[in-house]
Amino acid sequence: MASPPTIVNQNAEKESGPVDPVLVRIRDVIYKVCGIYLPDNKFYFLKDRCARRLEALKTDSLQVYFDALTAGPDREAEVRSLLNEMTVGETCFFRSPPQLHALRKIMLPKIMAAKAKLSFTRLKIWSAGCSTGEEPYTLAMIMLEDSAAYLQGWKWEIIATDLNDRSIAKAKEGIYDSYAVRNTEPYFREKYFRAQGQKFALAPEVKERVTFSRLNLSDESKILFMRGNDVIFCANVLIYFDGASKRRTVRHFYNNLLPGGYLYLGQSESLYGVSDEFHLVHFPGATAYLRPSLETPGGAGR
Amino acid sequence: MNTTVDETLRSRVRNLDAMPAMPAILAPLLRCLDLPPDQIEVEKVTELISCDKSIAAQCLRMANSALFSRYTHIETVRGAVVALGARRLRDILWTSFLIRMAPKNQWPLNPTAFWEHSFGCALVSQQLARKVLMPDPEKVYLCGLLHDIGELVNATLIPDDFRKTVEFAVSKNISLFEAELEIMGFTHCETGKLLGEYWNLSPDVQKTIEFHHMPGQSPAPAALPALVHLSDLLCRLRGMGYGYDELLEVDFHTDPAWALLEQSVPQLDRFDVARFTLELDADAEEIRHVVAAAFQT
Repeated sequence: MASPPTIVNQNAEKESGPVDPVLVRIRDVIYKVCGIYLPDNKFYFLKDRCARRLEALKTDSLQVYFDALTAGPDREAEVRSLLNEMTVGETCFFRSPPQLHALRKIMLPKIMAAKAKLSFTRLKIWSAGCSTGEEPYTLAMIMLEDSAAYLQGWKWEIIATDLNDRSIAKAKEGIYDSYAVRNTEPYFREKYFRAQGQKFALAPEVKERVTFSRLNLSDESKILFMRGNDVIFCANVLIYFDGASKRRTVRHFYNNLLPGGYLYLGQSESLYGVSDEFHLVHFPGATAYLRPSLETPGGAGR
Repeated sequence: MNTTVDETLRSRVRNLDAMPAMPAILAPLLRCLDLPPDQIEVEKVTELISCDKSIAAQCLRMANSALFSRYTHIETVRGAVVALGARRLRDILWTSFLIRMAPKNQWPLNPTAFWEHSFGCALVSQQLARKVLMPDPEKVYLCGLLHDIGELVNATLIPDDFRKTVEFAVSKNISLFEAELEIMGFTHCETGKLLGEYWNLSPDVQKTIEFHHMPGQSPAPAALPALVHLSDLLCRLRGMGYGYDELLEVDFHTDPAWALLEQSVPQLDRFDVARFTLELDADAEEIRHVVAAAFQT
């Protein structure tokens, strides 16, 4: 998708005092329309982003802005503009450590135990809306690390897709600035990156583990061919979809996962009211959506 | 619990009087606060709290926290008593008392973890009860706060076994409950129950302490142990656990506690767990501040 963004966790000073009730309503509208939820300790962030929109709309009233967001003729465009302010068009390596931790320590071992019973020894992960490649390359690095451990004897592939050709070209190039590696531990930086002037170039052994291609998640004829995944990552992409497209795409994700497979969204995203088929599951510090298998308590079709 | 296990347990944990006693002012204070609202004497409550400087300081700190009150500039004990009301004051008194019992020396885990978890579970239980429209959500605070009190019994009265249990749990990335069963053959649910009896806690609190890990075995109604079970899991999943890496995967909708709670709260199936989970992250931050401040005194 066009530059999947990250929710920015600014370390701005928290403001004391009661929160403007209109801001609470804006937070709730964003959750209802986009499925992205900012807890109370992020109000300062929401207020700051709304302030930018207030300035653009030349008003100083949050109530006027709320009306524009919910009842104005351009409300859909305005929601999109606010989302754009809340997100940035770049991501980074190792963006969500709790998700990666659960992947390595819980999800993959569990999936592998189930597959091993059927004598399967292949894993497939899809990064949907991969932008400039930081997410799938992060997955490749941690799986390379584990390939001598619990992944020994297993084949694995990482498929990465995005709508934007330029993002894909940049991903294939594999050269990043220091901002992209700000969350990357020195161990990984030294092992899998080569200095190239002020930039960081990914090592060939990481690049060759990811297959990139262009894909529009709304293109139903193409998405049908993305079958057989164990885990799908799709962070901060669905927030831009309207209700019907979101339901359709999530349905495709469900069908494209093997039973017992997981869908990861962005850390603040929720599928509440979007899918009855996926099971919401909790891991330490992270949530995911499970396509239940026959062994799952409660089974499919809850 | 069968008789043999019960006897063995009682013989191992026989020095319950070695557990910290309740502060002298707590019982008369709780008696004052249990009176009907129109009979509560603000001056008397204020005077009793002021007798214990440490409790008074803790009360003021918590009264100024967003977790308990809308006010942030309460400066006197009297102001706290008036602003909070009897119910919250009782919760805060219990919390202050328990924080003083912290086993600072013999605790083989991060010493603040136990309190972040207990205090967190009290607040999460109360919020969850309110969100799912459970009848009488006020009474769940104490159930959440005291659910793991058996860990304090273990740390204080059987420290060697407790240390082994913690080391086993940490090395295997499992819960203390599972490690206790493996190492000791009994758990903090049973030792907590003994302390609950010794302290003469209310039947609801005693039942929660005993059955929060296995609410399915609780005598009906099991809504309180079930709710605290879910809150306990949520705390451990959102950074308010025991400070070690517990490898947990939880599907709340298929957890047996969910179905038990649903018997008392039919509207539970419409509850947005994903949103509630994200909301908790703001509370976790505040809980850490309150506990960190409490430990500085």
